[in-house]
Amino acid sequence: MLGFSKSDKARAEFEALVAPWLDALYAGALRLTRNERDAEDLVQDTVMRAYRFFDKFERGTNFRAWLFKILTNTFINGYRRQVKERSLGDESERQSVEAQFFSADTTAQTQNPEEYLLHRVMSEDVLAAIDALPIDFRLVVILADLQEFSYKEIADILDVPVGTVMSRLFRGRRQLEKVLRDRERGALQQPLVDLNAYRERKKLG
Amino acid sequence: MNCRDVEPLLMPYVDGELVDGERVQVEQHLTVCPPCARHADVARHNRTLVRTLAKQGSPAAPQALRDRVLNTVRATEQHRRQRQVLRLSAAAAGVALCAVVGHGQWRSFQRRLYAEDAVRRHARQFPLEVRIPQPEALEAWFDGKLGHRVAVPRFPNAVAEGARVLNVREKQAAYIRYDAPAGASVRPRQVGLFVFGDTGNDVDVGARGDADLRNSNGYNVVSWRDGDLVYQLVTDLDEDDIRSLLPPEPRPRRGELPSQVQPRPPLEVQPAAFRP
Ligand SMILES: [Zn+2]
Repeated sequence: MLGFSKSDKARAEFEALVAPWLDALYAGALRLTRNERDAEDLVQDTVMRAYRFFDKFERGTNFRAWLFKILTNTFINGYRRQVKERSLGDESERQSVEAQFFSADTTAQTQNPEEYLLHRVMSEDVLAAIDALPIDFRLVVILADLQEFSYKEIADILDVPVGTVMSRLFRGRRQLEKVLRDRERGALQQPLVDLNAYRERKKLG
Repeated sequence: MNCRDVEPLLMPYVDGELVDGERVQVEQHLTVCPPCARHADVARHNRTLVRTLAKQGSPAAPQALRDRVLNTVRATEQHRRQRQVLRLSAAAAGVALCAVVGHGQWRSFQRRLYAEDAVRRHARQFPLEVRIPQPEALEAWFDGKLGHRVAVPRFPNAVAEGARVLNVREKQAAYIRYDAPAGASVRPRQVGLFVFGDTGNDVDVGARGDADLRNSNGYNVVSWRDGDLVYQLVTDLDEDDIRSLLPPEPRPRRGELPSQVQPRPPLEVQPAAFRP
């Protein structure tokens, strides 16, 4: 007795849905784990989880966002512990970050007008700069700029308010651009500035 | 709106995240305020550049990963299905699953599933990876592809068409397809032979272990064990045709008493050549 027509259908449906997003999942996983082996494992875990919970997926809703929610949760719950990550940490710090967004940050922006990034910047520089971001900023930058999710989608994926998404994205992009501008200015022939060294320098200066 | 009101809206404006009212107000301000207009322009330029470069630098998922992911989905599906079948039979018996299926029963149930899955795999007619008839050449081709050696049996009455690696349940197996003589039937039949490495005694080969014939889903499956290797032969040939495929049975030696109850004569195959 091998009555597999129905589940074969569900499996085929799942495969058809997931196949177009494997490249995107892998690209996101690479930026999260920062190495190929972990990225492959993360993608595999993500797809297996997605398949296991596929009956919970509401047909007709945003499958890509659903997949990335599983990807980020899998990463945060498993991989992040292995890789020591600097995080914004507790809720109070998060709230203060958000509070700053509409005060200190915007003032800083007004005082230090942004500059155009030049086309001399290379792909590797951008990826390395993303990889150097603290995880909370990195997650939002990956979802917004690499995956082009909307603020609302990112808020749903990360289970945070839209305001938090905005503040993290703002700060993440600002940090990213600063690193890239520094690279453009002086260190074109040197390896990309290590972000921790950069922070130390900033404290001293 | 003044500059201070507009500043925090510039990023969402550039990201296309503002609702109509706010968007119009920001746009109106930008037409009359060059510094804010420049901020917006810089933000848009940098955003585009970062996005483009980040995407350009991101490699596609390796083909091996794609294959692995989809294969695992399929393997999971089989697992789920087997659990369902088991649950159904338990429900039919009208008792709780845990009460019916003790560990031993569960294991023997699991072991029997290899035959069913082998049948499914054979029936799907997966494309062969290599088309060579000589058993020695097939053994050479399998060398290093699996976690175990592959000894290809020689059937006197069937010629190998080719082979491939195929998963049966969670095990990778060597799969060799033979063309069998038509026998009593009109059309030529195909025989699929799976070779598993089975050190854990996971695959059911019947109580005797030499040759166990069972019917699964319209196919006959003959299973036997040779050391760490388990063979499963899947075919829609009937039992007599299977016997004709195999070498003739040695006749009972003169002087031996024919047994009263004829046991099912064992199906024998010639020992496979083994390339170390
Ligand atoms: Zn202005």
